[in-house]
Amino acid sequence: MATASATLSSLSSLSLHTTANSRISLSKTRNPFFTKPTKPSLYHSFSSHPTTTTTATFTVKSSDIDTTFFDNFNPNDETDTVFNPPERPEDFVAPPSFDEGPMETEEEIALAYEELYGPAYSGESYLGNDIYVMDSKVQKKTGFGSKTKREKVKDGFEERVVQVRRVTKVVKGGKQLHFRAVVVVGDKQGQVGVGVGKAKEVVGAVQKSAINARRNIVSVPMTKYLTFPHRSEGDYGAAKVMLRPASPGTGVIAGGAVRIVLELAGVENALGKQLGSNNALNNARATVVAVQKMRQFRDVARDRGIPMEELWK
Amino acid sequence: MTRRYWNIHLEEMMEAGVHFGHGTSKWNPRMEPYISSKRKGIHIINLIRTARFLSEACDLVFDTASRGKQFLIVGTKNKAADSVARAAIRARCHYVNKKWLGGMLTNWYTTETILHKFRDLRTEQKMGRLNRLPKRDSAMLKRQLSHLQTYLGGIKYMTGLPDIVIIVDQQEEYMALRECMILGIPTICLIDTNCDPDLADISIPANDDAIASIRLILNKLVFAICEGRSSYIRNP
Repeated sequence: MATASATLSSLSSLSLHTTANSRISLSKTRNPFFTKPTKPSLYHSFSSHPTTTTTATFTVKSSDIDTTFFDNFNPNDETDTVFNPPERPEDFVAPPSFDEGPMETEEEIALAYEELYGPAYSGESYLGNDIYVMDSKVQKKTGFGSKTKREKVKDGFEERVVQVRRVTKVVKGGKQLHFRAVVVVGDKQGQVGVGVGKAKEVVGAVQKSAINARRNIVSVPMTKYLTFPHRSEGDYGAAKVMLRPASPGTGVIAGGAVRIVLELAGVENALGKQLGSNNALNNARATVVAVQKMRQFRDVARDRGIPMEELWK
Repeated sequence: MTRRYWNIHLEEMMEAGVHFGHGTSKWNPRMEPYISSKRKGIHIINLIRTARFLSEACDLVFDTASRGKQFLIVGTKNKAADSVARAAIRARCHYVNKKWLGGMLTNWYTTETILHKFRDLRTEQKMGRLNRLPKRDSAMLKRQLSHLQTYLGGIKYMTGLPDIVIIVDQQEEYMALRECMILGIPTICLIDTNCDPDLADISIPANDDAIASIRLILNKLVFAICEGRSSYIRNP
């Protein structure tokens, strides 16, 4: 019987969610280049804000549902497969199947649902609740001239545009022009995200890419001197980026996209070099990959089970 | 998690045919630990493990329901559609009976807009305003209403994303499973021998073809939800 101490990301090769196989790890962590941080922290950071942008981020409130009891289940181990249900209580009456018994009337069903959830979108109310209760969730359509600037820095993230390019799609009637914006979003305390967005106008593209960036946020491990714990290299596509920590007072010495990502992460002293191609988007993503590969010293010490002093010998 | 007695009997499950898998050539090798033997070209599922997973799933569902969370049952096979609807109504949960529209959860913002429209159409129908319009308009609106009723009828009381999703057949509802994985919603899934047990959070190896087996498992889960709800009502 799996104990409650099993962690969700247990790396034992015996667990049901084996992360040894990379295909499964891909299914558990969607995209290796944009893995979200531990799920509860990502969604908690958005949970206090009402829907702001047009494609709002909705929160998943299930962070307190504990589904970890199967992570140490080893199906090949015989002792794990016994089925020991608790004792049948004396007054246990088997409930009728949901198919038997008379079908409830529409009214009874609607009444029961309304007691539980409120009238929601049903359009009728048997308990006297206001049927237009869900209207407060809808944002007013922003027409011409109304300000959409209120979504500026609402969740404390600063946005910076790395590159805006005009891209073309050739169709029978001619050329269709769109703008593609690459935006890096970050608070200066160790969270960054890179996003892309395309639209027919620059402003719209920048907004879309900001929304995209907020969905793929990564946390940067930093030391107290606001630099990295160690060197690392990351690549994405043909772009390869090398990051190296620096002593305080150095500042961020890196080229275009890499510099913007590091600045918005709050890193103050670092060296970075673009070794492969100089494509801005791919370089930004490669720095994110490089940063994700980094480990804090105390995490490594904890995983290896040795005191931290051993790591510096 | 409190373990309770859920009235799961191996004889009952064998009667319902829960142990039959799909043909041997269609299996997914990841199901190897859950298959006990081969008979006449069909894999036989190991019922002890099924019973254990089912009781754990019921415990989880009971726990969650006693905290007042929202459930969603997804089952679009035409054999199972009817029983899914009845089970969900009995348990007072949301359900998706007919086709799962792509992006129902990940594109919840758009789904909400459509639900608003559904609600407005229903209020107009109740007030009888649909009959006062010219025939063509009213016919169009009525058709739209019936469309929305089939696709969204089960989720019209859903105010936000659900907290647990129960999926009946993994191969059929692959899109629903993917969306829940992206959003991080815990899922309980009925797995057959041609499905992948690692995708869902809790997978119950069972037969997804026979109506009796689906009904049995839904029965247990619905019972667990009802118990959880009543304990929530008693002490929230």
